[in-house]
Formats: sequence, C-alpha cells, structure tokens
Amino acid sequence: MPSTTADHITTPSHSSSFNLRSVQSDESRICVVMVGLPARGKSLIAGKAMRYLAWVGIPAKVFNVGTYRRSNTPQPQATFFDPHNEEGERMRRAAAESAVSDMINWFHDDESKGVVAILDATNSTKERRKWIFEKCRDADIETLFVESICDDEDLIMNNILEVKTDSPDYKGQDPELAALDFRKRIRNYEKAYETIDDNEKQYTYVKLINVGSTVIINQIKDYLSSRLVYYIQNLHIKPRSIWLSRHGESEYNLTGKIGGDSNISERGEAYARALPSLLRKSGVPPNTKIVIWTSTLKRTIQTARHLKAETGFEKLEWKALDELDSGVCDSLTYEEIADKYPEDFKARDDDKYNYRYRGGESYRDVVIRLEPIIMELERSENVIIVTHQAVLRCIYSYFLNVPQEKSPWMEVPLHTLIKLTPRAYGTEEKRFKADIPAVSTWRGRGLLRSIRSFPLRGRRMRRVLDGLVAFVGVGVVGLNGFIGGSSIPKYCNFEL
Amino acid sequence: MDTLLTAEIVANSPQFRRKSSIFVDAIHDLPEKADLAPAQLYSTESGRLFHSGRIVIITVGLPARGKTHMSVALARYLRWLGVKTRIFHLGDYRRATIPFGEDMPDDYFYVNATASSVLLRQKIVRKCREDIYHFLNHENGQIAIYDAVNPLASGRRSLAKEFAKHDIETLFIESWCDDEKIIEENVRRVKISSPDYVSWTPEDAVQHYLTRISSRIPQFQTMEEKDLNYIKMINAGERLIVNNRSFGYLSNRIVFYLLNLHIKSRRTYFARAGVSVDADSYKADASLSDQGEDYAKKMTECLMAHRESEKQAMIDRGESGYELRPLKVWTSTRRRTVETARYLYERGYKVRQRSQMSQLNPGVCEKMSEKKIRAEFADEVAKHELDPYHHRYPRAESYHDLAVRLEPIILELEREENDLLIIAHESVLRVLYGYLMACNAADIPFLEFPRDEIIEIIPESYQNEASRIHIPDLPEEIIPASPEDLKIPVPPSGVVSPIQGLGSPPDGQGTPQSGYRTPSGIRTPREPERISQQHVEDVV
Repeated sequence: MPSTTADHITTPSHSSSFNLRSVQSDESRICVVMVGLPARGKSLIAGKAMRYLAWVGIPAKVFNVGTYRRSNTPQPQATFFDPHNEEGERMRRAAAESAVSDMINWFHDDESKGVVAILDATNSTKERRKWIFEKCRDADIETLFVESICDDEDLIMNNILEVKTDSPDYKGQDPELAALDFRKRIRNYEKAYETIDDNEKQYTYVKLINVGSTVIINQIKDYLSSRLVYYIQNLHIKPRSIWLSRHGESEYNLTGKIGGDSNISERGEAYARALPSLLRKSGVPPNTKIVIWTSTLKRTIQTARHLKAETGFEKLEWKALDELDSGVCDSLTYEEIADKYPEDFKARDDDKYNYRYRGGESYRDVVIRLEPIIMELERSENVIIVTHQAVLRCIYSYFLNVPQEKSPWMEVPLHTLIKLTPRAYGTEEKRFKADIPAVSTWRGRGLLRSIRSFPLRGRRMRRVLDGLVAFVGVGVVGLNGFIGGSSIPKYCNFEL
Repeated sequence: MDTLLTAEIVANSPQFRRKSSIFVDAIHDLPEKADLAPAQLYSTESGRLFHSGRIVIITVGLPARGKTHMSVALARYLRWLGVKTRIFHLGDYRRATIPFGEDMPDDYFYVNATASSVLLRQKIVRKCREDIYHFLNHENGQIAIYDAVNPLASGRRSLAKEFAKHDIETLFIESWCDDEKIIEENVRRVKISSPDYVSWTPEDAVQHYLTRISSRIPQFQTMEEKDLNYIKMINAGERLIVNNRSFGYLSNRIVFYLLNLHIKSRRTYFARAGVSVDADSYKADASLSDQGEDYAKKMTECLMAHRESEKQAMIDRGESGYELRPLKVWTSTRRRTVETARYLYERGYKVRQRSQMSQLNPGVCEKMSEKKIRAEFADEVAKHELDPYHHRYPRAESYHDLAVRLEPIILELEREENDLLIIAHESVLRVLYGYLMACNAADIPFLEFPRDEIIEIIPESYQNEASRIHIPDLPEEIIPASPEDLKIPVPPSGVVSPIQGLGSPPDGQGTPQSGYRTPSGIRTPREPERISQQHVEDVV
C-alpha cells in the first residue's frame, strides 16, 4: 500500500469534517539558494525572481546574507573576505546562520504564508551548500540551487561599476577605489570557490553559464521549481533600460469614454511628435538600439509613429498589450456605466484587481495574458513600450513590486515618459513630463466623477492616500493637484 | 530501385487521417479549418504567436530513447497553447517508401553507405522536408517537429543551414540516455510489441533489438555543437542542458514543459464526483448524499476490480511478477469530490487536493433553471450558442478561462509518475480530457462523462488511448447529466458520438437544433473504446 506522508493527505474520515480540515496548500515550499562569485548578477536575479513571484501571487522573500553581515560590519575591507581571516569567516558564518534561521521561521509563520524564499549570498563552498540543504530538508523545505557563472571580464567589470559601487558596503566612497576594493574581494572569494559539480548531482540545481547562453538544469522535482527555472532562464544581467508611455491623449479620453479604438486627439498628436525628443532627453547612451512595442490599437500605433519614423527603430505590435477589455462597458462613459450597471460599478471599487467586466477582463486576467510579454521583456535589452493605462499599471507593478491591492489605483498620467532601469538593489525610476496638456483619466476609489463625490471619508480616503504615497515613494514626480484639491481634473473619466 | 522515383514517394507519403471520433487522440490530425486553440491567450496578426516566427524542432537520438513520445507530448502541449504544430515522423516516410515486407538496406544509416542507399535516404528526407516547408509556408504552421535519429553533427549542421535559408529557426532536442534500465524499459514498452518478436521472450527480444540498433547505427555523436540551439535531455529528464544561441519565448517555454515531462507510461483515470445534498448550489459546497456515498463505494470497487484484472492480464501475457504502478488520487477542494475519494483513502491511497481543479464557476446562473436563464439572459444564451468554449455568462467562467486556470495541473499531470485517478466536476474532466486527447476546443464543452463510467487513458508513445470502464448497478437517475452542472444549453445527453458540425458556427448551426438535454437521459449503449495503434514502431 502506498505510504502516507503528512503533507498532501486528507485527514482521516469517519467524521463529517472529512473535507474541512483538508483545504491546504498544494504548493511545495522552496528555498532558492543563489550560488556564485560576486558581481555575477545574483542579487539582480534574486530580486527579480521575488518580484515575479509576488506579481503572479506567490508569497516570496529575499534573505540577503550581506544585510545580516552588514549589521555587524557595515563597511568591511576586502581582507575581511579572505577565507584565512578567521574573524571574517566566523562573522560571515554567523550572518548565514541568522539568515537561514529567519528564513525557516518565515516559512513556518502562518501570517506570511511563505512559499518561496531566496537566499542571496555567494554560497560558494560545497560545505556551505550541504549545510543549507540539510537545514532545509529538516524543515521540510525543497532547495533549488541557482548558480550564476560568468567569465566575461568586461561584463563583470561593468557590473561592478554599475552596480556594486552603489552597494550599501561602499556608500559614500570613491567609486574608483570602491571598484578596486571590490575586485580584491572577488579574488578572495575565488580562492575558496567551488562550482556545483557531479558530486552534488543529487541536488536540484540550475547553472547559468555566461548569462544563460548555456544552462544546466538538474533534478527538477516539482512544478513550482520548473516554473522558477523557466523564469530565471529568461533573465540576463546586461545593463539596459525600459521606457513606458501611455498613448497620447485620445478622442475617447476627451469625451470620457473608455475602451474603444479611437484616434489620438490633436494634443495626443503633439505628444507623439514630442516623443522622440522626450526619449532623448531621458538619456539614451550613444549607439543604443531600442525596440518599440505597441498594442494593436490605433492610439498606441499613432503615438509611436513619429518615433519610429525618426529613429528607424524596429517596432512590434502585441495583441497582449491591448487595453483591459471592458466588455459591455466598452465605449461608455463612467456616468453611463454607473447608470446602467450600478452594481458592477460598486463591485469594481470593492475589489478592482479581481473585478471582471461583463464580457471583459479583470486586472488579474491582464496579468495572466501579460506573462509572455514579461518573459520577452526580460529576454530583451532596451525597449520602449507604448500602451494603455491598465496594462501599464500591471507592467509597472511587476518592475516596482506594487502590491495587487494598490496597482489598479495607481496614477499613470498621460503625456509622461517613465524610464525604468533595473539595478541589483531595485528598479530605478525616472519620469519625464512632456509639456503638453492632457485630460486626467485617473479616478480615485469611490469617485464617480471629479469633485462630486469628494471628499472621501475615513478609511476609504486613507486607502486612496496610501495608494498615492506608495506611488510617489517609488517615483520622482510629484502628485497632480488632487490631494491639495487645487486642480481637480475637469474630466475624470471612469478609467480602466 | 524503382521505389526511388520521387513521384512514387509522393504517392506513398503518409496520409494524415482525419478525425473521426473524440475517442481517438487527435494529435496527428490535420484539422480542416483553423484550429480553435484551447488555452490561447492572444495571437498576432500573422496567426503565429508571440512574434516567434517559424521553428523546426529536430529530434536527435538513437531509437528507444523516447523521441517519438517526446515529440507527441510536446506537440500536444504546444497545440494546447494555441501554437499551430505538426509532427513529421521520418520513420513514417521511410515505411511509406519502402514497400511492405521489404527491408531497408543494411547500410541505410551508415556514413559511408552505398550510392543507392544514400539516394534513397536523400529522397525520403527531401519529401519529408518539402512537407515541412509546405506546412510552415502555406498552411500558417508555426512549429514543425521533425522526428528522426539525426545521429551526426555534420548532418545536423547542414539541416540548420538548410532551414535558415528558408528563414526558419531550428531547435534541436536530443534524448540522451546512459541508464540501461530506461532504455530497456522503453524497448520493452514500445519496440518489441511488433509482430517480428511474437514468440520471443522479452529479455531476448530486448537484447536482439539493441544489438540491431548498434549494428544499424554504428555512429552516433551526442550534441556538442555550440553554434546550434539545442536542448539535451539526459536520462528522461533527470538533467537538461540548454545551449541557447537565440532562444525565443517559445523555446524557453518548451524547456519549461520538458522539465515536467518523463517518458514513463502510466494510466490516468477520470471519475465524476458523487451527487451531493444540495446539488444545484455552487456556493453551498455540500456533502455527498446517500446516493453519492453509494456511488463513491461502487466507483472505488469497480476501479479496484478493473486494475486487478489488468494486472492479471499482464501476468497471463507472460509478464510474471508484473506490478501495477501505485495509484494516486487527485480531487478538487470541493467537498463532494474529496468525499468521493474517501473509500480510496481508507484503502491507503494518497489523496491530494488541488485547488485549481474546482469546477467552472457558474456565475449568476447558479441555481437557475434553463428556462429562467433563457428568459433573463436571452442575449447571453445566443452568444453562448455561437461560441460555447469562449463565452462566459455574467460573473461566470468560460471553458477557456478554466483551461488557462488548469495549466499548472496539466504540467503536474505530465510530471506524475504514478497512476492517477482524477475525481472532479464534469467541466474539469472535459478540459483535461480535451488536453490528453487533443480535442478540438469547440468539442470540449460537449464531452460527456456519465457517472457510470470511469475513463481510462493509456499513453502510447505515438498517441493516447482512451477507454471507458462501466460501473454497474448505479441508479439510473444519477447517471446521465450532471445535476450540479450549469443549466445552460447543452446537447441532448443521449448523443454519444462527437457532434458533427459543432465547430462550424458559420453555417448557422452552432449547436444542434434537436433541442437541449433530453429529460429521460436515455443513452445509446456503447462499447468500451480501444483504438488500435496505427503507427507501427520502427524495428530498425
């Protein structure tokens, strides 16, 4: 007879509660263990994997051993990392121990419902990996080792200059000196570094060699690991930027209608003309090739028209970048919707992320259809995406880790170019506003139209403000006049 | 040799059969009209997905390494995603060209073969390649899977070059094995069932077969070509080595799928959940009624008896000591499916609950009679009849939504190495069955799973086989329809054969005219289906 393990088994029967106690997670819990020398993009991969998982709704957290070590030795010298420096070795071991123990607690904490933890450290010796593997095994957690190997010196140096000199270890130090110290630190690690080899073939691991040009995947034992590997395989660590823009103001924007496939307005056309110079102003390194992505709707294609003509950049149209489908509400104004479908209007405010328009889509649906886009974005280098408000919110949330309950309420103004640059310790964001007026299409929760429902009361208002603060926290542009109440937008259409 | 005339090769090239029944795995079918993709999320204007262009997947590996199995499984998944995919088995072309009863030349695979053998080889390959070009260039195909041995690096390089000239990307997938056990099991399972080995003991047949392969194909070079895109699968998925020159979205997605694939043969059973107390309510999530309990018991007994007889049949066939694979049970998290698994659980089988397997959400139509739905949502009913696969009622899910939601289950289904019983709502069974048997999406909403039948699906390397096991002595009233199913237009439950013309709404007959569910639930008796394999395995 089949043996029984506690995990996925229903509780014994006989009682009427046969099925009640059994609603349990059928996901395995995984500890992703990063392996590799410094400046191989480990933190970048760890951070990205965490954001990706959160974006698709899987609770994930990065445990960075460096952070634990830093709390004791904020800015150590390279000699600290010499394997013969016993004091350094002891402290690094202590840091790893506290990180692993915090991680296991996080998995077992009912509140965090942890599914994937990412242990970000060099984990460069077999001994260390064995120790982690056993710790996890004893706590009933699967391990997935992810090793990044790179012998392209230029790429490593580039990574050091781009990324490591921003690292908390070198805050406020001369970048040149910092880079030099960092190379020394790497040499110390190299002395003790052991790559994952056949003696460790019982482990589940992925080896990424030279930015994924060769990938070795060993002993994948569950679906979630395969999905993670799939994601990681799409990543690269070359420096690049991604630009996001909504389409220029459309004719529907002017009349307050949602959805549809209208042309851009005169002001929208002005934005389209200004886009090439706005892009230049945002800082494009010389000889950079950028690919333009648009949706298949007229307003984004028209917005990118001049950019393509002036630069000659390649352009791709994606159906997946089309605006959230508002089903029966397509081409209606917010007032018409509130009139015709009052219940829907309210249901949407209550849970905007999951609300699905009749015959249309929800934000959750959009995230699912954007999956190929995200994978393709990760594989690409410089890309400018001209798309729509709801889609842009979803893509933006992926890069900046905006939680699901906030992302549908974020404000993304028209005629503004957002530049995102992935860094090891997060995504850097800059916004560039074209000096071309446009209507605002942002609608706060509970707002029917502009000032009529204003002010919001109590909790609801606070939630709106939370959303705004989170939004400003990651950005560099100020708010529009909404909070101060000075310039309430004239048209405040029911935005997607 | 006369058979070398190209005209004859064309005349003899494999004809793809047309789909005749939903009980036949349609993975080798040529659909007449554009496919309706079960889980397609969106397409590009070219009809090809993900801006991925056209790709030829070229298999590499000695016979009995699971190449055909892998090609078929991959095609199944890609089609499921909505990627237009077809498999071209070179062996089929060879058999079609070399007259029945005649052997291929001994030196057919040799590097220094005689001129006539080289010519024969070239002509067969050329015809296969022409068909691939035709599929990719004129039938809007996106992925062609070229299933052949391709043992030499030089041959593989020239293939890649040849396809590149036609602006077609290549992705090589090698099945490489150094685990003798895996090879032997494979030979036993798919190779020595051929008439050539009728009176042999399995051990001798395996040895003979392997010796023949090594004398036939003396030279095999594993892939080391760093200039080509390839995936090397080692020991049936134990390890994968990916050489990524220019992988696109689809290639990465294929790696993802292969990470979940194995080449072991195991059975999948589908059974309905028993009837519950408050059957019409979706939200109530009620417990089994007495009749439901009775069903759960009988279903369990029937399945156990069936498995026992299968085991006995194998032993009678000379496989002494044959053991069935352990059985696992998956249910949804809905109360009645879990409770249906209770007797299996008590017998010690592992029962796992999968939240993604909960039934199609009926939305506002919950608990409504068909009449009421027709009265209140007349326009929705009309839309539903036009496209029952994609249409969703207000606040409800469509079958398409369900298929997208079930993708993790599908990958875990591939990953599972034990026999598996899935107890779920009919809507879930429809979608999973549709995947395993490569059904046209338009047929999926109409697949039938009467409660008195357990469906058994046995994967063969070339196609899956489905059969139905009758559960005796069930009360007539719980068998035909799903009392807990959506009260929305469905064809008469008496219909057994696939409903003709379902996929062609343009002729104005999106759903059968003959009325909806017949109240009596009379069904035509049916024989368990077993479709014999049409593809004869290579005995090289």
